[in-house]
Amino acid sequence: MSITAETAKQHANDPAVLCCRAEAGTELTPANFEDPAIFPDLVDSGLLTLDGALTIGQVLNGSKLTKTVDSLTPVTADIVDKYDEAAGGAEEAPAAEAPAEAAVAAPAAVAAPVAGGVINLHIGEGKDINIQIPAGIGGGAVAAPVAGAAAPAAAGAAAPAAAEEGEAVVVREMTRKHYKIDKVVLGDETKIEGTTLYIRKAAATEGAEAQKLVHSLELDVITPDNYHVYSETVMDIQPIATKEGDDELGEGVTRVLDGVVMMVTGITEEGVQVGEFGSSEGYIDENMMWGRPGAVDKGEIMIRAHAVIDNKKNMERPGPIAIHTAVDHVTQEIRNAMKKDLTDDQVVDTQTMKQVRRPGKKKIVIVKEIMGQGAMHDNFLFPTEPVGVLGAKPNVDLGNVPVAANPLEVMDGCIHALTCIGPASKEMSRHYWREPLVYEAIHDDDVDLVGVIFVGSPQANTDKFYVSRRLGQMVESMNVDGAFVTTEGFGNNHVDFTSHIEQIGKRGVPVVGFSFCAVQGALVTGNKYCDAMVDNNKSMSGIENEVLACNTLCHEDAIRGLAMLKAKMAGESIKAPERQYTHSVKENNVELIEKAYGTKMELVDNEQALPMSEKRKAKYD
Amino acid sequence: MENIQMLLKQGAVGKPCEAIVKKGDKVKRGQLIATPTGLGANVHSSVSGEVVDVTEDRIIIKPAAKQPKTFEKIKKGSNLEMIKEAGIIGQGGAGFPTYIKIYNGKDDKPVLDHGYILVNASECEPGLAHNIAQIDEDPAALLRGIHYLMEIAGADKGIIAIKKKHRETIEKLDALLKDDAAIERHLLPDIYPMGEERAVVRECLGIELEPDKLPSAANAVVINSETVYSCVKAIEDQKPLIDKNITVRGMIKGGSDAHVFMDVPVGRSVEALINEAGGFDERGYGEIIMGGSFTGKACELGDPITKATGAILVTREFRDLHGAKVGILVCACGGNLERMQDLVKKYNGTEACVCYCKQAQEMPNGTRKCERPGNCPGQVKNNLDFKKAGCEYIIIGNCSDCSNTVMASGPKMGLKVIHMTDLAMMAVGHPLYRTLRVSKHVSQDLNVVDNVEDNETVE
Repeated sequence: MSITAETAKQHANDPAVLCCRAEAGTELTPANFEDPAIFPDLVDSGLLTLDGALTIGQVLNGSKLTKTVDSLTPVTADIVDKYDEAAGGAEEAPAAEAPAEAAVAAPAAVAAPVAGGVINLHIGEGKDINIQIPAGIGGGAVAAPVAGAAAPAAAGAAAPAAAEEGEAVVVREMTRKHYKIDKVVLGDETKIEGTTLYIRKAAATEGAEAQKLVHSLELDVITPDNYHVYSETVMDIQPIATKEGDDELGEGVTRVLDGVVMMVTGITEEGVQVGEFGSSEGYIDENMMWGRPGAVDKGEIMIRAHAVIDNKKNMERPGPIAIHTAVDHVTQEIRNAMKKDLTDDQVVDTQTMKQVRRPGKKKIVIVKEIMGQGAMHDNFLFPTEPVGVLGAKPNVDLGNVPVAANPLEVMDGCIHALTCIGPASKEMSRHYWREPLVYEAIHDDDVDLVGVIFVGSPQANTDKFYVSRRLGQMVESMNVDGAFVTTEGFGNNHVDFTSHIEQIGKRGVPVVGFSFCAVQGALVTGNKYCDAMVDNNKSMSGIENEVLACNTLCHEDAIRGLAMLKAKMAGESIKAPERQYTHSVKENNVELIEKAYGTKMELVDNEQALPMSEKRKAKYD
Repeated sequence: MENIQMLLKQGAVGKPCEAIVKKGDKVKRGQLIATPTGLGANVHSSVSGEVVDVTEDRIIIKPAAKQPKTFEKIKKGSNLEMIKEAGIIGQGGAGFPTYIKIYNGKDDKPVLDHGYILVNASECEPGLAHNIAQIDEDPAALLRGIHYLMEIAGADKGIIAIKKKHRETIEKLDALLKDDAAIERHLLPDIYPMGEERAVVRECLGIELEPDKLPSAANAVVINSETVYSCVKAIEDQKPLIDKNITVRGMIKGGSDAHVFMDVPVGRSVEALINEAGGFDERGYGEIIMGGSFTGKACELGDPITKATGAILVTREFRDLHGAKVGILVCACGGNLERMQDLVKKYNGTEACVCYCKQAQEMPNGTRKCERPGNCPGQVKNNLDFKKAGCEYIIIGNCSDCSNTVMASGPKMGLKVIHMTDLAMMAVGHPLYRTLRVSKHVSQDLNVVDNVEDNETVE
């Protein structure tokens, strides 16, 4: 389709191709050119070769055709009377080669973060939408992997000569005391003796009885010696933790049990899984992506709380809420036992977590989009206890408007997640407890993390744009230099995800987005601010493979994202990715980071490391 | 002669008239039988005879065995009054009342400010021949008519837009025009749609009008050549608009040449005219189109012609697509969505995808107008969408330039292209609308041969 003068300007460096037949003598105008946004499709289908094509910018200066040519003819030097020299002489190399080229450039430019990343979103009018998949990342300063130990030199160099760099300021601290549990016994009393956790079985029955919709709630214990146990879809994985005394979430002392987690599963009486897009039911060892921030770690004991609820309530909000409330009745009893039975001499590890501000460094904010469409797509915000229910408000009831949190609140379980879109991409409660991006950002000496904002993803588009505008205003008022926007799941929520990026981006704040996209979750919409994306995909085929937490945000993604945001804040341009999803963008950029800083990035396993399930064999791989 | 059916709404625009005769009334040829109730024009009986029925939408008249050559004259008055009285509407297709086009109700301030009367003699729809035949027969009357209209509308200049291919007719006009400083002719290339109102303005005056603008925005009135003749007859002969020139063509016995019928009484049936042309070709036919193949509509044998009907085209038989997936490309130059969907059904295809040409702007009344008639905006995006929707065929109604663009990518993608006019073009022996090999620009010098290379006929 012919393009406007504005589009021509945006695509001044793209090849000039005639959209229609044009006769000799025609002076070229934007109306003569085909929209470069669709070239990849045309080249792929063999309809177009761009060999020797001049750019649009080169032939808009009064160039006239010297012969009559048909549509989809590239404008080459031999069919115009004159053309301008290519802008800037050394024209940008073909995008596909970007990673290699950047790898060389990065060390030379010292710590200047380089390119990478993803673009290629095209929005037409309403129905006219090109779907492109973000992936990739930028090179650049590597964040200190843990506790800022290794990186200061590189980081210091990378930071733009900041006007005044004050000392890091500790805003608040929180302590996590870890207690080891290596045995869980179901019995008549809830208590902790040594490293054994006893749970009163009747607590589950009581929890169920208090909820009208819950028919039954049963507990059992899954131990590391046999993970080959069948499970219904996993609704949530929760740390078992409690606050000491009157300490509030994100402050004081938190006690947490190591070696054991709560696992919530649920079905209806008819046997329908409480999930929406896919379900992780099956043998646990075949469907659990061990070690993901939100998942179970290999070697841990799972206390499985399995609920059966009224038919049809799986897709209505009261159903999942009832299950989580019933399960929390059990967990709260454990928390009470922790308060009562645990003593300091049982502590196996103590972590002091600090919220640090770094005056003079680039100020960044993390925006986490959480699901708020209703049913299980809901989250309890700010419970009294870590990942509790009491005291919390569901974000759906809050209208999904943005809510600010500090990093310690996030790591202290301020989100009790009901969310349940795709098993592989959903962020469970434990994910927030170990949120890798918050962790990496707060330990990165190059940036000053001002806070975390949670914003719900409502069902209706009008509501999506409502919350999105509020978010944009909130970020504007924070006066930050950069922002992350993360999301979980894919599809419906991408509408607000990209709108959030637009609202922040149009205020002049560089944004990097995180989402699972790959092959199956390609963005359904986009805008010009969506030019820096990290794809959380880990699966081999780039799909929602129903393996729990497989495609969620991990440390390696956080590191890539931080590098990309630093590059963007430094004014580096981010190169377009290849059109089809490919792992190589990520691989190339990881290599780039490793080369530039001499560090090794350990990448996590994907589903291929698990025993093959019948379901996966039949449906996916 | 068969019974005559005078529709109370003769054109595509306006409100139906109200009958002023009733069943059993004797009427004479030229007698006023219906009057406007809103936007519209008088309707006169095209035959002498007896009213056998007055229905909601038409007056049916049984013609007397012997028909007079003469007619009941309209009363004398000013030229404008006589045009109004004669019930003249535009004969290019839409049927807009002519007197409204040239008069704004203000005697002291004409519609144009020293503007232009642009005579549309492009005979835009392929296969039609009655407009040029009429000019060829009496070019002088056309010039007189233009002067009448210039005077009424306040124009200083008249321009006759005519396709360059009609050399003999143009030479006749040129002979007269050399003594007439107020009127000139403008030569058009032989591509579709040169007769679109705004295309005529653009070609003659170089002004590109927005789709929602009327020619008056360019200080011009565009009027079909046959309409000019009707005005001449009203003014000089006091003749109401009761006869129509018609091209009947297609799958007619005896070949694909045009049958041009002059002065056919309005209200005669499609079937009667086909029979007079020789009857259906024994090879059968697909559909009967009333009007041109781009903008006309499928009709029934019993339907009557109106003051705005220009042609009856009998098409080749439909090919059976056996339910194949068909994409519809709707543009403003060809059929609307409804017409295209009807064609997909007739081809026995399955509608799989609908796309709109980027330039086909929807007007407040739901119709579509092209932003730049005859100049393509590119079509490959639509073809990609058709391909994605799994279409095997696409049916298009595009102009010459856009069809050419569709062809530049469609077949290479494996889309089989059907143009809505194909069956009519085959039937009249006209090249199919596919690729464009002629220039969109012609020299105004009749003797300069332009870059013309005939489209290949594809069957």
